[in-house]
Amino acid sequence: MTFEIIDTDILIIGAGGAGCRAAIAASDSNLEVTIITKDILGKAHTVMAEGGINAALGNLDPIDSSEIHTNDTCNAGAYLNNQYLAEILSVDSPQRVYDLENFGAIFSRTPDGLIMQRPFGHQTYRRTCYAGDRTGHEVMHTLTQELRRREIHIIDEVYATSLLRDNSHIAGVTVVDIRTGNFKVFRAPSIVMAAGGAGRIYHITTNAQADVGSGYAMAYKCGVELIDMEQIQFHPTGTAIPPAARGRLVTEGVRGEGGILLNKLGERFMKNYNPRLMELAGRDEVARAVATEIREGRGTENDAVYLDLSFLPSKIIEDRLPTMLEDFLDIGIDIRKEPMEVTPTTHHVMGGLKIDQLTKTNIKGLFAAGEVAGGVHGGNRLGGNALAAGQVFGKIAGCSASDFAAKASFPKLDRNIIENEYLRIMAPLERKDGVGSSTQKRDLQKLMWDKAGIVRNDQGLKEALQFIKNQQEIANSKLLVNNKATRYNTEWISALELHDMLIVAEMIVRSAIMRRESRGAHYRSDYPSLNNEEYFVNFIIKQQNNQMVIEKMPVIITKWIPPWMGNPN
Amino acid sequence: MTDKETVRFKILRYNPDLDDESSFITYDVPYIDRQGILDALHYIFQNLDTSLAYRWNCRTGQCGSCAININGVPGLACRTVVDPSKTYILDPLPNFPIIRDLVVDLGPGFDRLKKLRPFLERISAPERPENLTREHVSAAMELRSCIECFSCYAACPAVASAKQEYAGPIAMRELASLELDPRDQGDRVQLAISSGVYDCTSCGLCKEVCIPKHIDTRRNAVECLRALAADRDMGPLEGHMGFINQIKSSGYAVSVNDTPFTEQVPAIIEVEDPIDEVLFFPGCLINLRLQQIGHNVVEVLKRNRVRVHIPKDFVCCTSVAFRTGARAIAYEMVLKNVNYFKKLGVKKLVSLCPGCMSTIKQDWPVVLHESEQPPYEFEPFDINEYLVKEIGIEQFNKQDLKPLSIKVTYHDPCHLKRHQEISEEPRKLLRMIPDIEFIDVEGSDRCCGAGGGVRAGCRELSQNIAEIKINILNGPNPDVIATSCSFCFLQLSDAVKDAGLNKRVMNVIDLLATSYRGESLN
Repeated sequence: MTFEIIDTDILIIGAGGAGCRAAIAASDSNLEVTIITKDILGKAHTVMAEGGINAALGNLDPIDSSEIHTNDTCNAGAYLNNQYLAEILSVDSPQRVYDLENFGAIFSRTPDGLIMQRPFGHQTYRRTCYAGDRTGHEVMHTLTQELRRREIHIIDEVYATSLLRDNSHIAGVTVVDIRTGNFKVFRAPSIVMAAGGAGRIYHITTNAQADVGSGYAMAYKCGVELIDMEQIQFHPTGTAIPPAARGRLVTEGVRGEGGILLNKLGERFMKNYNPRLMELAGRDEVARAVATEIREGRGTENDAVYLDLSFLPSKIIEDRLPTMLEDFLDIGIDIRKEPMEVTPTTHHVMGGLKIDQLTKTNIKGLFAAGEVAGGVHGGNRLGGNALAAGQVFGKIAGCSASDFAAKASFPKLDRNIIENEYLRIMAPLERKDGVGSSTQKRDLQKLMWDKAGIVRNDQGLKEALQFIKNQQEIANSKLLVNNKATRYNTEWISALELHDMLIVAEMIVRSAIMRRESRGAHYRSDYPSLNNEEYFVNFIIKQQNNQMVIEKMPVIITKWIPPWMGNPN
Repeated sequence: MTDKETVRFKILRYNPDLDDESSFITYDVPYIDRQGILDALHYIFQNLDTSLAYRWNCRTGQCGSCAININGVPGLACRTVVDPSKTYILDPLPNFPIIRDLVVDLGPGFDRLKKLRPFLERISAPERPENLTREHVSAAMELRSCIECFSCYAACPAVASAKQEYAGPIAMRELASLELDPRDQGDRVQLAISSGVYDCTSCGLCKEVCIPKHIDTRRNAVECLRALAADRDMGPLEGHMGFINQIKSSGYAVSVNDTPFTEQVPAIIEVEDPIDEVLFFPGCLINLRLQQIGHNVVEVLKRNRVRVHIPKDFVCCTSVAFRTGARAIAYEMVLKNVNYFKKLGVKKLVSLCPGCMSTIKQDWPVVLHESEQPPYEFEPFDINEYLVKEIGIEQFNKQDLKPLSIKVTYHDPCHLKRHQEISEEPRKLLRMIPDIEFIDVEGSDRCCGAGGGVRAGCRELSQNIAEIKINILNGPNPDVIATSCSFCFLQLSDAVKDAGLNKRVMNVIDLLATSYRGESLN
């Protein structure tokens, strides 16, 4: 067989907020930088972030500081955070916001002409910088413009399938060029993994379709250590209809403005869960309450509950929630007159590739940043910290990658491994009969939602694991792609994604089984409280002798001491 | 909601590796309440045909990946709700090479953008914190909300005909967003000129297809860049200067070729038992070149017992100046008109020309506001709007309309349909004429290529756009092509002649007047 090899000094996998920031930082060197993306530059999931980007600029509350930001971050993260990383996030984010301005971003302004900052859940001060309700889009648009300024190779619509190693060093990645179906290899001494999250392994998610978790899967297969994969954030309100938009974020602002949650009996059910805070209880709590109502049969026919604003004067809705109003009007629902149907929705993976302060993984030359990297947010992520982490660690990863590439020799490729990868990729195309991936994928997504979702227990998780193992068997031996033309064959790409999703699902489920307590976003109905004695640890997941193993690792604490260890907060 | 169970989709299929040419395949998709086009595509992919290629990502209108041509109009599949009473034809975005089926290669569009230095250019980094007030950045912020779906580029009639000469609405938006950014030091106006800023016909389709962002590229990018070009003596084009100079010297955009309409009629045209009175603003073309249309307007108003005032001393509405950026002369003329109309004291102003009327409705108030003058005191109406909404269909004089047994199609003037949202009214009027056979064509609202100074400034482009339009309108082989704009009327008349067709072009009002008078068309 023959295949094209494309050499570059620094390869970035993923063109969201973190990948683009890494590419920009790496291109400040005199090395060749290539960024590959599964979609098209500018269209990554980052564009969907609405709320904002946290930076302790102190424009509204001068008393705010990076120390307080770190404290808020660790507190929200149930102290599972790597505190070095949490501190870097807080210290660097103001400068990264200014970088964005230098590149051309325009954030909303205070009357004095400074960057405006809004209050966000569980943060001590007004810290979240924003651009209307399209902050992620502003960030992505800016980074896209900056990439166009620079000499960076941008390669759209390639699907990365496996990382390649040269002994203990990273060596490259195999890809399918989606537009032609051609199998190719990118070879680079230095790679930044910035492939984003994995919301798509769940039935209901806010995430774009690209977010199937390939970054985690590729890393795992290559021997990279991952951390805390059981920590998945669920947002309490996503839209329930139309089907294609299911899970799309309905901003917390709707409840902030007074929106109430009702079950199909018209009952304001939050009174049974948290009569004091009602709809404004914490995200986890509201998500669990909504999920319980639906599971116990008090949901609507669309497996949802009602979120009602219609009792408010129309003017308030028009002025304060214009995007929500328009989004729903587009699908024929006037939220001034009728309630929305909402469901909890999978939002963010806090776990991911284990990185150090320089974003290094345990494989030499491989760096990681953005949602695919773990440890920054601990057990739960603050709103506004995802965009910030992408910029902060994207920049560091780009610098680390170019520093590494500058001194590295070009890696050797192992032809046998590449040929085997080619055979693996081509197998579902070459099979004459077998099973399609569509149903398999849907079954997996439903299973993860039901058994490894908002409320988990030992039995459900073990059933999930068994199901995943069975599906892996099928995926390896029976997966069939009917449509044999390789050009832009989404059936084929979708089948390959199933392999990745199954690996990520297994990591989540195995970690969730092991964590016999409830901490952060991980909630176990059979172990509903914290167990600091046994589980105030991070879980490290890796492949050893073809087995998935999970080890406990002490949490990295620097200055922010958890309450049970004597923190007065 | 209908009780329809399935919706039919005809989708253009093409795989360049295997197929000699593209072909449509039909799929019937079960209808679910509030289903989007993207839902239907998913259904087809998952249940009927896994070989269907289409692109999507965020499914919420934020990434712009899923733009396709939906019944001939570019738009996002995720933001278009299925209407179960329709059949859908889906094909890939025009003006781009096809990768497979509904997936196009946006590369040429991105390459074009990249050549415009589409990034902030400043000589040195600012001091921190940088002070930028809301007023300074709000214009640029709106233009930065583009999601690069390229629907505007695919829809643009100027791009389709000018090809590489015009970088398209998306490029104009990018340039204006940087030009309006107080931090940017690059020369965006020169780039706009070399990228075809004068090729825009002001049709406004770019805004119409910009869902959900609604960026008004025509007004806030194209016309803004043209105004800056004029301020810097870099524009408008030579072809426009004739009109601008004519306004400067005579108050009208065109020269006199016959007795002006205003001199052919009395200052007030009385009727028995008037039910209303209006000031008829003829505009330069009707006043100086197309006087008969003016008489027809008066005829129709008289038949409906409306007393008509004629503004003997009106001057040009200066639409051409607004559209090409020559704002100084525009301001002078607007104030002259408004002060004069104030003296006449008529409360309703009617015009047939949508170019004039949309300028009066949309640009004049801005001039008055910026010159710190009070708003005008009359209510402005397009003639069709006036007849249907103010007189009312019930009251409208139908009994005097005599039969016209002709076949008619209708061309929507952009300045009427998009800039004033008036499209049903002229159709209602046409249908009132006894025996008339009215056939609406797909694409009735495609631009004819006259507007935005293109007819004057870029004649060849204008003719190319008109040729496409005439072919659309001539589809059902009509006797008459109707419109409701004196400028479209001229453009379509020329195009009919150029195409060697034996068709008449007439305004809706001309047809109504003919019918009232009981005249035949031959």
